[in-house]
Amino acid sequence: MQRRTGLTAIALIGSLTLAACSGGGTPSADGPVELTMWSWATLQKVADIWNADHPDIKVTVQEQGGGDELVTKVITAAKAGDGPDLVQAEYQMIPTLVSNDVLADITEFAGGAKDKFTENVWKQVTLDSAVYAIPQDTAPLAFYYREDLFTQLGLEVPTTWTEFADVARQIKQKDPNRALTTFSSNDAGLFAGLTQQAGATWWSASGDTWKVAIDVEASRKVATFWGDLVAEGVIDNQPMYTPAWNKALNDGMQIAWVSAVWAPGVLVTSAPDTKGKWRMAPLPQWSAGSNTTGSWGGSTTGITAKAAKNGRAKAAAEFATWLNTDPKAVAALVKEAGVYPAATAAQTSGALTTPEFFPNQPDFYRQAAELAKGTAAASWGPNVNVAYGTFKDAFGKAATEKSPFPAALKAVQDATVADMKKNGFKIEG
Amino acid sequence: MSALLVGPRVKPSVSARRTSWLPTFLLLLGAVYCLIPVLWVVMAATKSRSELFSTFTFLPGNGLWTNLSELTAYRDGVYWLWMLNSGLYAGVGALLSAAVSALSGYALAKYSFPGRGVIFTVILAGVLMPPIALAVPQYLLLAKVDLAGSYWSVLLPSILSPYGIYLARVYAAAAVPDEVLEAARVDGARDLRLFTSIAFPMMRPGLVTVFLFQFVAIWNNFLLPYVMLADDETFPVTVGLYSLLQQGASKPALYTLVITGALLSIIPLIALFLGLQRYWRVDLLTGAVKS
Amino acid sequence: MASTWTDRRLAPYGFLAPAIVLFGLFFALPIGYALHLSLHSVQVKGLGLGRNAREEVWVGLDNFITALSDPELLAGAGRVLRYGAMLVPAMLGLALLFALLLDLPRTRFRAFSRLAIFLPYAVPGIIASLLWGFLYLPSVSPGYFLLRAVGWSGPDLLQGDWLFLALTNIAVWGGTGFNMIVIYTSLRAIPPELYESARLDGCTETQIALRIKIPLIMPSLVLTFFFSTIATLQVFAEPMTLRPLTNSLSSTWSPYMKVYRDAFIQGGMHSAAATAVVIAVVTLVLSFGFLKVVNRRTAERTP
Repeated sequence: MQRRTGLTAIALIGSLTLAACSGGGTPSADGPVELTMWSWATLQKVADIWNADHPDIKVTVQEQGGGDELVTKVITAAKAGDGPDLVQAEYQMIPTLVSNDVLADITEFAGGAKDKFTENVWKQVTLDSAVYAIPQDTAPLAFYYREDLFTQLGLEVPTTWTEFADVARQIKQKDPNRALTTFSSNDAGLFAGLTQQAGATWWSASGDTWKVAIDVEASRKVATFWGDLVAEGVIDNQPMYTPAWNKALNDGMQIAWVSAVWAPGVLVTSAPDTKGKWRMAPLPQWSAGSNTTGSWGGSTTGITAKAAKNGRAKAAAEFATWLNTDPKAVAALVKEAGVYPAATAAQTSGALTTPEFFPNQPDFYRQAAELAKGTAAASWGPNVNVAYGTFKDAFGKAATEKSPFPAALKAVQDATVADMKKNGFKIEG
Repeated sequence: MSALLVGPRVKPSVSARRTSWLPTFLLLLGAVYCLIPVLWVVMAATKSRSELFSTFTFLPGNGLWTNLSELTAYRDGVYWLWMLNSGLYAGVGALLSAAVSALSGYALAKYSFPGRGVIFTVILAGVLMPPIALAVPQYLLLAKVDLAGSYWSVLLPSILSPYGIYLARVYAAAAVPDEVLEAARVDGARDLRLFTSIAFPMMRPGLVTVFLFQFVAIWNNFLLPYVMLADDETFPVTVGLYSLLQQGASKPALYTLVITGALLSIIPLIALFLGLQRYWRVDLLTGAVKS
Repeated sequence: MASTWTDRRLAPYGFLAPAIVLFGLFFALPIGYALHLSLHSVQVKGLGLGRNAREEVWVGLDNFITALSDPELLAGAGRVLRYGAMLVPAMLGLALLFALLLDLPRTRFRAFSRLAIFLPYAVPGIIASLLWGFLYLPSVSPGYFLLRAVGWSGPDLLQGDWLFLALTNIAVWGGTGFNMIVIYTSLRAIPPELYESARLDGCTETQIALRIKIPLIMPSLVLTFFFSTIATLQVFAEPMTLRPLTNSLSSTWSPYMKVYRDAFIQGGMHSAAATAVVIAVVTLVLSFGFLKVVNRRTAERTP
């Protein structure tokens, strides 16, 4: 703090007189390579560890708003030849970023990192056999519930979706003010993850042709399931991540949340009074006894085309590999950003200590590793932003009107296909 | 004539002893309506994270100190940098804006020359341009000259204010008598000197008004800095608070910080209002319609 | 050497030079660029992956045809008109009422009320929306708390038709004070003699307001109406900030939001530019039309 205020005035004057200071520096014979990174997570402290050990490559992290905002911003910047050298990107956004010429092919610098990750994860950063990013964290879905309230209301933890629906009905009978959870339309990522569990793959490519399979049987099953619960009135239909949602979680008006392994970090801010009252369980299954789950987000570190153009791709890839595979870096990542690392070695290492908010579940990460084994493969297309954007509008409307969800699903499929056709993509079917 | 704090213009002949209660009551009702959200943010800023959603909204909480220190600790005090940035963008931007408006307003009011009407109309039509239609091309163009993301990218587009030029023109027409200019001209003064030593001092009060309007406009602007800036150390406070609000799925909005930050960000402008009340000369605007 | 004569002839252009240069760089050039974008589009090759997979191609008026044939644009315009039809009369009505009340001789606490009502002008749109957003949410709002205390339940202000009211309220809150000051200032510019005699003749304050004051301040009412309408058409920050709180605000709720969505969320810079051009042209035509009508009326009245 003191350092910063002291330097503020100088920084202000400096940037005014030097005009643009938008990009990083260029590699020169005497100075270090300067890399900038855009990220929504608090990564500067991790980068500082690197900076201390690597005087020749200096990394500055510029913190940004949430995932979607960041994608928008980095695409606009790339169009203008501006932007960072490294960017944090969720898996589903990689094809979009590659298609917009934001990310550089880093196969020659990063190929060696392949065996540090599972095949499914590595596939998501590889397109057309070129590597575009280093995986950072994975986010398998799980079922979070208020242990105390489940006991108090005499509820069983659901292991299948049928049981999940039954529990939702029981809660409404026992206490009409409470709800099991809500169906939220403001993040398509959760819904996409749930359809992965049911077996959907929204995009795939073969040859030079794309296939869009959003409105398929597996997704319709998920959509119908949630739409029926909303229509029946046994779960809420209001969006997540609002003050009202925080209050509902904090007061125990919503007593469960289908979320990803990063949920403890959200609950600590959203429901501060409920420390030690939550528990993570495997995601309910479509058929009893199976162990499949989907993902909600999870991120990677991409190297930009701008970095490649300026001859900084190698340095950037070196840093990205270190950030996501080096034990010291991963331990810091877990501590600072609260992520569940994608590197397989780190998932079983001592870096993962029990989340502070879940003192009642000391083996949290061992259980997470167990359920992560069943993570369904995912693959993404070049306009996930359009699909996700349409999802918010279409499902928001359906949730409010309590109208059938499959119609909304079709709207997402149609808008996605129309956008791709407009841009000249070849599409199967 | 200042509008904000001029006392009631009551002629002694009209008896002012009896109060009209209905108008007084209606005005106070309006005042209460306008103050409720402000009162709410004051109260909410004192609440801790769990109090924010659990205690009655208009009761103070115990978290003000925690909120302030959390806000200060957030990203090593970046919030205070946002405030400084806002002050810089609004202060320097409004100063330059007032200068450009003074020059243009003076020229438009005191000279007749070919193209005067066209120039004035075209600049005024700028008000009608949707800011969002301008922001994106502005970004792409500034990026081409490597200025996007810099302080300049927010400052430069904020300088030209069609509204400010309009006000300065009206004020120059009203406050600078032609005779004085003619007399100085006869004495051999050149045009630039006429402006700097005669017209400018006469226009100064009106220019303070232009400065204030533009200061508020830039301080409150969101879209332009949002589109232009990427490094959060260059953000003004509006964009900074928005970034706290839009955190994404695995990182929820930091409401207590946003609310405390919102409260603090209003304070400088309120101080500006109270401190420079006599310069809120909106009468310029209305005078213009009559002329 | 420039003579005094040429000096005087060229001086105004010199004074205007900074403004003209800035206008050229930050208004004219971007508008030209937006026009360029609106006539082009992007086409991909193959899977659309890798370097140079996208190229900009000339598409003529295709983007405009798409923009104009998208029912969401028209629907958005309809929503904004409805919002404006609620907002502008409410805001200006209140501003006029408060200004007239302030101008009455025997009203008290004037300085306080005037400052309090002007205060929201200091609050940026996104922060105002955030504050009201909290006050609208049933589970955290004091209004609902009071309603519940007496056993009632309030409507969900962020759903359906209530949403228009919720948005209108934010803008009324933010804009009334400024307009009140504008109107009040012109009220105070009226020479008191004009209604002193009416007062002596026994006219009530209401009659004086309706028959003398309002006609005299008509020009500033027209002006505030004009600027308020422009601001209404450009509504953006309020719905954008409220959007995450509700299912009922689509990303294309207002035409500007659609431009934003197309350009920033969906990466369609070109179609967004076309939509923006359409909105700008409509705004320009309406504005100049309005000003023309007003000028003609004024000219008729004051020959």
